[in-house]
Amino acid sequence: MKLIQLTVNGRRYDVPVDDDELLLDVLRDKIGAYSVREGCGVGACGACTVLVGGTSVSSCLARAVRYDGAELTTADGLPEDDAVVTAFVESRAMQCGYCIPGFVLMAHELLAENPQPDREQIVAHLEGNICRCGTYQEICRAVEVAAERRARA
Amino acid sequence: MTQTTPEPGVDTGVGSRRSRVGAAGKVLGQLRHVADRPHGGCAHVAVHRSTRPHARITSIDVSEAAALDGVEGVVTGADLYKVLGDRMFTGPAFSDQPPLAVDRVRYVGEPVVAVLARDVATAREAAELVYVEYEDLEPIYDVADALAERAFVHDALRPSVVFGDLRHLSGKTETNIAYQYNLKLGDPESAATQGTSVGFEFWAPPVHHVPIELPATIGWVEADRLELYSTTQTPSYVRQSVADMLGLPLSHVRIRVAPLGGSFGSKMYDRLEPLIAALAWLHRREVRMVASREEAFLLTTRHGAGVISSMSADADGNLTSAIADVRYDTGAYADVGPRITAKSGMIAAGPYKIPNVAIRSRCIYTNKPSAGPFRGFGVPQVTWSHETLIDELARARGEDPAGFRRRNLLREGDESYMGTVMHSADFVGCLDAVTEAIGWDKPLDRGSGRWRRGRGVAVGIKAVLTPTVANAVLQLNQDGSATLMISTVDMGQGSDTIMPQIVAEVLSMDAERIRVVAVDTDVTPYDTITAGSRSTYHTGNAVRGVAERMRERLVDLAAKRAGGSSRDLKLTADGVLNTASGEVYRISELIHEHFGARGATLTEEFNYTTSWQPYDKETGRSAKATEHWFAGAVAVQLLVDRWTGRVRVEHLVVAGDVGRAINPTLVEQQLAGSAIMGLGHALFDELVFDQGQMLNSTLLDYQLPSVKDLPGKLTPIIIESPHATGPFGAKGVGETGIIPIAPAVANAVRDAVGVRITRLPLSPERVLQAMDEAGVEK
Repeated sequence: MKLIQLTVNGRRYDVPVDDDELLLDVLRDKIGAYSVREGCGVGACGACTVLVGGTSVSSCLARAVRYDGAELTTADGLPEDDAVVTAFVESRAMQCGYCIPGFVLMAHELLAENPQPDREQIVAHLEGNICRCGTYQEICRAVEVAAERRARA
Repeated sequence: MTQTTPEPGVDTGVGSRRSRVGAAGKVLGQLRHVADRPHGGCAHVAVHRSTRPHARITSIDVSEAAALDGVEGVVTGADLYKVLGDRMFTGPAFSDQPPLAVDRVRYVGEPVVAVLARDVATAREAAELVYVEYEDLEPIYDVADALAERAFVHDALRPSVVFGDLRHLSGKTETNIAYQYNLKLGDPESAATQGTSVGFEFWAPPVHHVPIELPATIGWVEADRLELYSTTQTPSYVRQSVADMLGLPLSHVRIRVAPLGGSFGSKMYDRLEPLIAALAWLHRREVRMVASREEAFLLTTRHGAGVISSMSADADGNLTSAIADVRYDTGAYADVGPRITAKSGMIAAGPYKIPNVAIRSRCIYTNKPSAGPFRGFGVPQVTWSHETLIDELARARGEDPAGFRRRNLLREGDESYMGTVMHSADFVGCLDAVTEAIGWDKPLDRGSGRWRRGRGVAVGIKAVLTPTVANAVLQLNQDGSATLMISTVDMGQGSDTIMPQIVAEVLSMDAERIRVVAVDTDVTPYDTITAGSRSTYHTGNAVRGVAERMRERLVDLAAKRAGGSSRDLKLTADGVLNTASGEVYRISELIHEHFGARGATLTEEFNYTTSWQPYDKETGRSAKATEHWFAGAVAVQLLVDRWTGRVRVEHLVVAGDVGRAINPTLVEQQLAGSAIMGLGHALFDELVFDQGQMLNSTLLDYQLPSVKDLPGKLTPIIIESPHATGPFGAKGVGETGIIPIAPAVANAVRDAVGVRITRLPLSPERVLQAMDEAGVEK
């Protein structure tokens, strides 16, 4: 057991973790960030995506001990009036909704790097996330709407 | 939302595109799922699995596992059998599946021993320390092995008590055929000797649902009652199944469900629930199991199916004959395979007028993981056959494949070859809509260089699950808001959004004031299942009925208050209006006055049950095989890369007849979403087995459609041919879109490069190979 410090959505947590404990499990079981979800356990579906200092990480592959001192964002920590969140809601970009928090964080990462992505760049960035309900059209549209909205803001 | 009446101009009733309930919560990930239940102090379950496809268990050594620090218990199938006896074998059609293998294993990956431990890692480590010795039996890897009848997956068939028509199969030995459905009309063999005929052998491989939420079941005992919190589409079924297994009254079993993170047929009937229920009951302990992705792959699959079939037409281009021999590989346990076999078999010749038809559809045991329901319930596999045949038959006659279909499609009032009359199944409307949207009659640029362009079309038919039972309880709160109790599980299809729209329509309310209670069998009434696209029609009718009763009740209360008859009274958005006097009785006042209490509730209930006529024993026909039909069509325009065999879909149009769209946005999302899932089945989805072992059960190895697989353009089209007895004319739509996708794609590939492929998926390798064999220039 090692005591590590995580800042999650601006709040500081001191958490004891085992060497082999996954960031995914720590966020869910010790911090209560249930928007971070396991879908495959091999980093292939994107449901467990978190942002670490703004960069997307598959938390199902990440050992928590390596993130001592890191600043993390999870979807449940975003404000309801966040441009990406409102764009997803208005674009009807969800069916069951299970995978959507991962897409929302990927969209954040993309728009921080590239505020005006074209459709091809959006597709390339979201390629690693799976929406089994097949809501991809609405998701792409939501990212475009969010980009427009942020450009105007 | 505090207003009691909708804002002017904001309609949330039937036909409105109201936003999905809890949309922001879904986007933020605040919606809680089953696995989010805190688990401090519970026992975690891991399973030791069979390494053999078919073997007798000769010994099990659990001593090392039991001695591991943190292990609370180790349970074998024999341990369960001592307590539960034959009751431990469960299943919706056949009672053939044990939660842990007893004496014999029947597929690689079958649960043999369960370990309970303080955490998941310890449980999994202990499961590895279990040693099982086997004496191998002859394995049955596929349908051909099974039909050779050298060995048998089960010593005797054990149909469940649920379906009376399976009773005659009880105790049958020396067979791997769990069930067989036959349809016979006219003389198809002689009819096929006239005119033009085509015939092929088809294969649709097993595939997996892969909802991104993993299956999870948590069970505990409270005051001598068993409680389960589980990812299931079938809470009412699970309650009965678990009560039967443990010998408990239904009142002593409680099943609760959270909204599911997708399911598509994978989380229904007996999955993790029997094992977790047995362990919780015997250990008097809260036990929890969240399947890993690899384990989820083993819980159920879509049936791999082979079809040997032919179709014939006369000189005038009218279909004369269809013959189909359908073989569903149901794996080691029948699950609902026998129902799939019949429901899909009966329409295996498609939605066409055909005077002579012979169909044999068989559900066949093999030593593979059990196959069960998957969006489409076996119908996509037979549609793969009939929509390829009719396309090729049109081409053999030199006719346009769309026009040839249009001439032969069943129309309103036609009796199908399987005996049931068509109503609210607008195949022609769907076909016309998709061909128009894709520009079927416009000239096509055939492409150049390595790329060749083609178009394809296909039509689909499916019967709704019948007979089934739905119930609804509506509680109107004194403040004019309402609480709806149904056992429909929202798994992304949007039932929690559309059911309030039906109530809102009847009671002139704002749907935002109506909430659906999360399924809890202690509270929400019996409902057969959330599956087979049945809920909009069946549960929707129960919801409509209960809302109408509530409307009558309110009018009665107003009449009592007015001291007279209800003749001039009418429910409006403002309350009950006396159309003669202009007086309005507000709902909040009526309920307050009736009970003399604020916060009181007015409750009504309604049952909606459908019936059917069983298949005739000789002919397999039925005058009422189903309550209603789903009709759909798909048109595709695509490019084939002649150098690599890769297919790129430029435009996909999918139309479904939904009777009446309760919420058009949600209908479009179901059509588009099922089309994308169907594209995976058409182009790359496939479970690969080697000697009974699943080889690609991780998401690194199993490919799913991603945003990159989205067609250049995707157009969902709603067709509304109202159903006479649907709620406001409505029917479901969850499966309609997926059914004709694969053949539409293959027909377009045929159009582009001239090769006819009859085995799915149309992987680049397979397309290239077909082009090589046909000598197509590259």
